Order: sequence, then structure tokens, then C-alpha cells
Amino acid sequence: MPDRWARWLDPLALGRLSAQPLVSLSAMEGTVSGHHKSPHRGSSVEFAEYRNYAPGDDIRRLDWRVFARTDRFYLKEFEAETNLRCYLVLDASGSMGFTGKGGVNKFDYARRLAAALGYLVVQQGDAAGFSCMGDRAKVEVPPKRHPSHLQLVLEKLDEAEASGETRVVEALHSLADRIRRRALVLVFTDAFFDPEALLSALQHLRYQKHDVVLFQLLDRMELDFQFDRPVRFVDLEGPMSVVTEPGLVRDEYLRQLHGHLDRLSTGCREFKVDYRRVVTDEDYERVLAGYLVDRLRLAGGLM
Amino acid sequence: MTFLQPWMFWALPLVLLPVLIHLLNRLRHRPQPWAAMRFLLFATRTSTSQAKLRQFLILLMRVLALLALLFFLARPLAGGWLGWALAPAPDVIVLMLDRSASMQTKLSEGGETRLEQGLRVMVEAARPFEGSSQLVWMDNTGRAPLALTKLSEVEALKLGGPTETAADVPSMLQAALRWLLDNKSGTAEVWLASDMQKSNWRPDDSRWGDLTAQLAGLPQKVRVRILPVLGRSGPNRSVRLEESYRRKRGGKGELAMTLDFLKTEPVAESIPVGVTLNSSRTDVEVALDSQESRWRHAVGLDIRQGRGWGKVEVPADTNPSDNAAYFVYSEDVPLRAAVSAREAISERVLGLAATAFGQATNGAPRLVKPDVAGGWERETLVIWQGALPQGSPSEELRRWVQEGGVVVFFPPGLADTNRFEGIGWGEVQNALEAKPFRVVKWDENQGPLARTDEGSSLPMGNLMILKRQAVVGGGTVLAPFEDGAPFLARQVLGRGEIYFCASLPEPTWSGLAEGPVLVPMLQRLLALGARRLQHDPSVICGEMGVADAGLTWTAVEGAGLDARFRAGVYQSRDRLLAVNRSPLEDDWEAVEGSAAANLLGPDNARLWEGKTSGGAGATQGEIWRFFLAGMLLFLLVEGWLILPGAGPSSAAGSARSIRVEGGGI
Repeated sequence: MPDRWARWLDPLALGRLSAQPLVSLSAMEGTVSGHHKSPHRGSSVEFAEYRNYAPGDDIRRLDWRVFARTDRFYLKEFEAETNLRCYLVLDASGSMGFTGKGGVNKFDYARRLAAALGYLVVQQGDAAGFSCMGDRAKVEVPPKRHPSHLQLVLEKLDEAEASGETRVVEALHSLADRIRRRALVLVFTDAFFDPEALLSALQHLRYQKHDVVLFQLLDRMELDFQFDRPVRFVDLEGPMSVVTEPGLVRDEYLRQLHGHLDRLSTGCREFKVDYRRVVTDEDYERVLAGYLVDRLRLAGGLM
Repeated sequence: MTFLQPWMFWALPLVLLPVLIHLLNRLRHRPQPWAAMRFLLFATRTSTSQAKLRQFLILLMRVLALLALLFFLARPLAGGWLGWALAPAPDVIVLMLDRSASMQTKLSEGGETRLEQGLRVMVEAARPFEGSSQLVWMDNTGRAPLALTKLSEVEALKLGGPTETAADVPSMLQAALRWLLDNKSGTAEVWLASDMQKSNWRPDDSRWGDLTAQLAGLPQKVRVRILPVLGRSGPNRSVRLEESYRRKRGGKGELAMTLDFLKTEPVAESIPVGVTLNSSRTDVEVALDSQESRWRHAVGLDIRQGRGWGKVEVPADTNPSDNAAYFVYSEDVPLRAAVSAREAISERVLGLAATAFGQATNGAPRLVKPDVAGGWERETLVIWQGALPQGSPSEELRRWVQEGGVVVFFPPGLADTNRFEGIGWGEVQNALEAKPFRVVKWDENQGPLARTDEGSSLPMGNLMILKRQAVVGGGTVLAPFEDGAPFLARQVLGRGEIYFCASLPEPTWSGLAEGPVLVPMLQRLLALGARRLQHDPSVICGEMGVADAGLTWTAVEGAGLDARFRAGVYQSRDRLLAVNRSPLEDDWEAVEGSAAANLLGPDNARLWEGKTSGGAGATQGEIWRFFLAGMLLFLLVEGWLILPGAGPSSAAGSARSIRVEGGGI
């Protein structure tokens, strides 16, 4: 693994995370069989091939007759079970470049999450694509299943830079328009822009029957807003700066922030978007593990 | 409110320090890249008035805390309920009342006298301290400080009654300090109610400096509160007996009196003056042309009559204590002169002129030679013509004068270098024949050349003086020549007087031998010297000698009066005694309250604040505790305001409650 990718992929963490499959909560369309439910039922659903059991596979899908004959675990795969197409959408706006007191950069944190999830998707035989939208970065990598494709995704991920205003809403609308088949869309953003525009884009994706997950990345400094003296706040997305007495505006700032977060939360719940609020002082592996377990638990109810 | 350390307020601008630090702090901002500008901009634009108010309150609390600290350091004093409630009770309170004669002045408002008002205000103010402080009574009568067990004792023992004494305020304060030191008291306050009469306060007295140093050196805190009782009062008149003596006129005896009248109003008026002689009163109309008038009066008196008493009264006015002057007179004293003259003519003329008239025996003067001069015990006047005495005769004569004797020196006609009490003879001067020396003015109101009882002037202007000998070395000139040189000079020595006359009753010197000037002059001096032989039966109120104070005195008029403190005529066995108010009480000038307080220094004495309408509100107390508590309160409020989450609608801390949401579909 090249050094520059090592920044985004932690083998040990990935080894631990591989135990949990990344499953879609809604039926996926695809040409290859997989773990994910297809929306199509009836005659088109037929046996395709056997596959060796891998730890973490659902044991309900083991072929017990083959096991009785051969003493080996095989899984039956049917054409009806399709592969998953996962789109990793990364917000590359300037605000994502914020580095908090702990020295954690939000954009780096988002890239780590996206890289890990992309790896997990490809590793379980699904297709991973990458989309990064910003003033300087405008990258589109279509989803593919080949492990070599992951390298391309990681390269683009590594090259991405956070600057300027956000383009994530446009990117999501564009995706909703372009993606023909149902897909899993993972959005990584701090969502510090008009929540209605973001919810509208998410609603657009949901309308197209995509499974949408919104990772909102926040820093503890942004949540606490604890400053002991006047500060010149410099906008990361423009030339503006504001000198203010934090103590004087803190209450109103927090009220606005919480209102914004609440709006996003309720909006996502309304449109059935999986809303994950992430604070960057948390361990990203735990965040991912929690996400995967939640998904599996929710999917179990559907499978 | 007043302050013991008002200079602390020079630091008043320091209270703006929190505001200054706040403004400087705003300039010391640091840059912070920020992502969530959207919310910050909105919050900055629509920052709630509550947040601004909180910020303002924090600054205000800091400023107020500093202000309270400054006030605390300035040691504030407050009257009214505030001072009363917040000042700590002293261990000892000395209630000191000026009971001098001037305190009996009635005030226009309320009908109280100054004494009654001062006493009332002090007692009312002391009432709340009755249980917490030791109360001690003091006044100006010389009474030892009296520790009170109850405040009601002031009334029960009549401690605050009127007197005709004078007050010696420095002496009173010294007595109070002595008592406090002797009794090893803790913190103490001396409350002094006075009408601020300058003659009682004696602001130029050196004892004030000693008192200030004493107060500063005390281990305990002792503070003096001055209550000036200075309400408005109506017009006042006073009468004082300057002199009274028995004399003979035309074979009849009479009592001559010299009276001084003072009044507050400058208008001329005529008042009825009551003259009482042994309970028999007569009213005499007296014209008072100015605020100060002298009146001579004579009352017929039988030569054979022994001792007696009397009083002179002016009509009632705002101060009853100065409306009467009391006197007693004793048996008639035989008048006798001694003449020691170098010149025979002078000896004869002077002897004739100084013969005591109207007496049965021993009217003629004793003639003595200068070299054997002495033994003047029985004489009332010594006439000395010749070189001034020296050595032991001079010393003997000086002692005699100090006892009340009168000596008149006439020129020796020769050069004389001797001096008597610094006065002596200069050169002999002859007048030009065409222009003799003349006396153009002389004191016609008092002294040996005063007008006669009928009001006629002595014929001084007709006196021809051809030769004179200059009087050198001093003395008060009673009658000057045209060129200013003294014809008659006087020097007071003890109770007696010394006179120098610049010419001789001889034809070559002057026309003095003719008599119209010389005889009345010597007769008056003869009577004046009689005072030496009379026991002075008059004392100043409050200054009675120890021997007299040991006797039992009964007032001849009125009952229950104390001879030590009340004016009047008193009798003890066969003795009569006139007690008159102190002459200091006739000086009505007052000292300013603030000037009086400054006599002890601003740290030691304060003026009683508030109106003398009474009540506890009239005293001042140190209320620094109030400001210390205020400062602590302001700091506590400030601390609460700057706490995260303090104040209304704060969302602080709620950020921590944000959980990582997930799976929310």
C-alpha cells in the first residue's frame, strides 16, 4: 500500500471492520449477485453459483447439503441478489478544511471515513465510486468492483483539497439525475450551508430510490464555542472576517447551530435519510463500527 | 455623608479600569479560522439584548466593586438611619454638655433653650446605645465624670440644668481623655453639645495641639462628635457690674456703681433698669445709644449702715442668665493717704487735696519722708513726689500696689534715672511764657479725670502748665498735652494702679494747686485704693475658691440655688457673697463648627450631622462595613454573571449534550 494511501487506510482497523458487511437498507439493482436485496422478484431470481464461506457471511445462506457431502461451507448465490453500487460524495468546501484544537482536520477525517467505507465496499464485492465537489476539486469516479479501481478512488481522494464554497448540493442533484440504478450514496459534509437546499438534494436522491447516508462532520470547538477573549473569526470559504466578543454572542450562536442541526435531523428522518452526526474528536473506527452495526441491525429487520 | 480620608477620591478614575481593560481586551483579539460563519454572523447581527445586558452588568458590577472599595478606604461617615444602623457601637460614650450661661439663650423655633435642645438631642441619640455602651456624663462645672447606669439619671439628678458658668472646652476634653485613660476604656466617643462660643472654645489655646497629639497617641480609637446648638434667637441685652464702692458725697454716703450694658441690636433705645438694694427695688430709665454702653449710678446709702447686697436688672429677653448683675458691699473703709514729698509746697498742697472728706477721724494724710518710707498697710493712696524709690522701699511699694493700692508719682524736678515698673522721669521742660502747656483731651468716661456724677467735665482745658517733667517708659496716657506728651499716665500692677503726673502743684510749675483738677483727681484715687482694704465679696460663677466652696451658702433670693454654678447673692453665717456670671459669657462671638472640629484634626473630630430636631439620625457613624459588604456583593454577582451557563437563556454546556446521532431513518 503506497504511503500516501496509508494516511487514509489503517489495515488493523480495516481488519476489525471487515467482520461487519456494509449492507444496503433498500433493494439494489445490479447485474452481479450479492448480499443485497433486488427489487425484482419471480422468474428472474435463479441460482447462479456457489461461493466459499467467508467469516461474517450470513449462515442462513449456507448450503447444508453441500456441507453434508463435502464437509465444506459454501454459499448459494442467486441472480436475484445484486451487487451494491456505492457513491462516496465528499464535500470539498473551505469550511471542511477546519482544524480544531485537537489538530484534527475535518476534511482529513472525512477522507479517512470515505476511504475505509470504499475499501469495505470493494472488499465485499460491491462497486465503489467517488465524487468530490469543491471550488478546486471536481472529481467524478464511477463505481466499479475491481480492487484496482479502489486505487484510483484513493488517488483522487488523496489529491482532493478543501477550499472555496460548497458544491455538494449541485453534486447530489447531478448524481440523482445521472444514476440510473438504485445505489448507496454516502455524503460526507459539515453541512454548514442552507439546510433546505441540502435536504432538497437528499430528497431528490431518495425520490430516485437511492439509499442515502449523510455523515455530518462537526468539530468540538464549533459545538462548544468556548473562547475567553475577543476573537477575529476568519471565514474559511471567503474573505470575510468578524471581530466579536464570544461571550456576547455565544448563546445566540449555539441557538442557531442547534436549530440548524435539529432541522437537518428532522429533515433526514422525514425523507428516510440515514443521518450520522460525527464529532471529529471521536475515534473514526468506532464511528464506522457503530455505523456498520446499526446498518446491519436495521437491515436484519428487512432481510 | 462625610469621609475621614476624602483624599482617597483622587483615585476615583480607577473605577473605570474594568471598562478600560475591557476595551483594551477587544483590541487584543486573535485570529481564528472558522467554518461555522453562517451561525456566527447571524448571532453577531442579532446578538440578543440579554447578552449585551449581561456584559454591561458584568462591567457595572466591576466598576461598582471598585467604587465600593474606594468608599470603604475613604472611611465614610453617615448620619441618619444608615449611620445609625451600620456604625459599630463604641465601648464608651461621654455625653459632654456645655452648661455655660450663653446656653440659656432661647431659640426662636420650638421655644427651647440651647441647653435644653442640646441635652434633648444628645439623650435621644444616646438612647439606642444604653444597653451596648457605657455612658458617662460630663459638663463644664468641674464635676467629676459620672458613669451612668441608666440614661434616666440625667433627668433624675438634674445633670443638665442651667448655670451661669463659663465653659473651658479644652479643659473639658482633657478631663474626658484622662477619664478614658484612667478607666482603660476601649473605643470611645465624646459627644459635645455647645453653642460654640469662641471665648469658651479658645481656638488659640495651645492645649488644642496637646489634645490632638494625645488623641493620635491613644491605643484605642477615641472620636469627638461636636453638636453645635446654634438655632436662631431674638434680641438680647446683658448687664455687668464693672465696679461698685461706697463713697461719701456732701456728708452722705452712697454706693457708686459702674455698669456695662451690651446688646445685640444696634438701635438706640431707652430701657428700664431695676436697681435692687437690700430687697428694695427702684427702676431707672437708662438710654442705650449703642451696642456697648457704660452707665454710672449712685444709690444713697447711710454712712452707718453696714454690709448689704443688691442687683441690677435689665428687662427679660432671650437669655435670662445675663440680665442681672449682683453685688454686695461691706462696712465703710476709712480712706487715708500717705504723702512723701521732697518739696514743702507740694507736700502741703498734696496733703490738703488728699484729705479724706466727711470722715470723723484720720481724714488727714500721713506725711512721711522718702528715706523712711514704708508701712502702707492702712493707707489707700500713696502720693510720692521726688526721686523714684529704689531698693527695699521700691519693692515694698510694689507689693502694696499689687494688693490693690494706688500710688501717684509727681515729678522730682531733677534728673532721675530710677524707674518704677519701667516708667520714669525724663528732662524738665519749660513752656514759653506766651504759650503754656495745655491738656486738650483726657479720658472723661473713667479714671481720675472722668466727669463728675452730675456730668460736668473737669476744667482740664483751663489748666495752665508752665513747667513739666517728661514721663518716659510707657503706661497708658489718660491725658496728653497738645504735643502728645503725657500729662497723666497709668500703669496697672496686680490689683492696684500706678499714676504718673507730669507737673507739680506749685506756682512755678502749674495751676494744679488751685484745686478743680487736683482735688477730684486725688479724691478718686483715694477711694480707688480703698478696694485694697475691702474683702472682695464677689466671685465669678464656677470659680469659687476651695475655702468658700467648703462653706454652706444659702441664696438670699430664690431657693435651691447652688452658689458654685448659679449667679446670685448668697449668705453663709455672717458673710455675704455675690456670684456673677463669667465675663467670658459676654463675648458673643462664635467659632465656626468646622473650624472647631479642625482644632482636633479631621480624623479625631466630626461635626454632628443632621438637624438638631433630634433622634438617632443626628449622629454620624462609620459605615465602611456597608461598603465592604457592597463590594463583596458586587464581586459575587460579577462572579455569577461570568460563570458559564449563568444568566438567562444560556445555551452553554448544551453542546456537550449533543450525541452522535445515527440510524435515524
